[in-house]
Amino acid sequence: MFMKTFEESWIAWVDGELSGEELAEFKASLPDISVAEMEKQEAFKLGNLLRERIGVRAMANGEFFQHQLLQEIEREAASASPRPETKARESWWSIGRLVWTGAASLALLSVFTFFVMREKTVGGRSAYLTQIIDARVDPAVSPNANISIFESKENKVTVVWVNGLQSLPSEYAAK
Amino acid sequence: MSTAPLPFGRLGVVLIVSLLTLGMASTQATETVWSGLVMANNVPAPTPIPAELTHLEGTLKQLFGYNQFQVIGQSRKSLNNGEENWLATSKYFSLHVDSKGIQGGSSYLLNLQLFQEKKLLLETEARLSKRSPLVIRGPQIGDGQLVLLLVVE
Repeated sequence: MFMKTFEESWIAWVDGELSGEELAEFKASLPDISVAEMEKQEAFKLGNLLRERIGVRAMANGEFFQHQLLQEIEREAASASPRPETKARESWWSIGRLVWTGAASLALLSVFTFFVMREKTVGGRSAYLTQIIDARVDPAVSPNANISIFESKENKVTVVWVNGLQSLPSEYAAK
Repeated sequence: MSTAPLPFGRLGVVLIVSLLTLGMASTQATETVWSGLVMANNVPAPTPIPAELTHLEGTLKQLFGYNQFQVIGQSRKSLNNGEENWLATSKYFSLHVDSKGIQGGSSYLLNLQLFQEKKLLLETEARLSKRSPLVIRGPQIGDGQLVLLLVVE
């Protein structure tokens, strides 16, 4: 049991909460019991007056404020914990996703490469082979010359084969 | 492991990256055309074939039946816009090449003229492909053969 201070004992006495030995001790500690009784009465009156004037008002829209407070609490709790969207964004570039993305890129590259690099054919011959548009010799210089054109499949070589040009002596092979 | 489908935005990124990679791979550097006047003949001890013709050695031997090929005149021309002209010359022959542009992104439109000194022996218009060398059989010289070659390097 605690020892009450004078103020605590005074308040308890005013409120009528002291009894027995405690009450006797408190009264004995008072310098003037009649003055104290007057103060007690005034304090009692003041307490009654305050209770009359400033009563606890019942809130007309208490549920609304309660709802508002609950919503605010939920918002704060949600902002404190990590957002599901952020979590999803962080986990998108996981190892599995990277593997799939890499595989998809390689597949696309292969498809594009196939379409770009595949051999085109024009009129039954490869567009990537050298084509001879025209070949001619001067009939006045080489009246017996004739020209044939063919392709060597090896190395994809295009050959212009000229027959009948005038033969020349070996000194024409000089550098 | 998550198995959610790829969102369109990321698929778009993948597509763009693939296209860029393909574009970079297909970006072409400046190309060089090697033009040569080559003497082909048969000799007991043939000299090694010039480096420019190494990859064509089998084809040339098969086509012409000679065992030696020597360069008597050559020119190596870098093509920037495909509209250049150049000359490969030997003592008596000259090959004049006039490039008229790139066609279809993969071949050069060329006009070729073979002169024996000032005499025009042969004229050819060709679309020279980057993957396909051009071989022209020229006149017989002594016991050999003059061969003209154009190769995109």
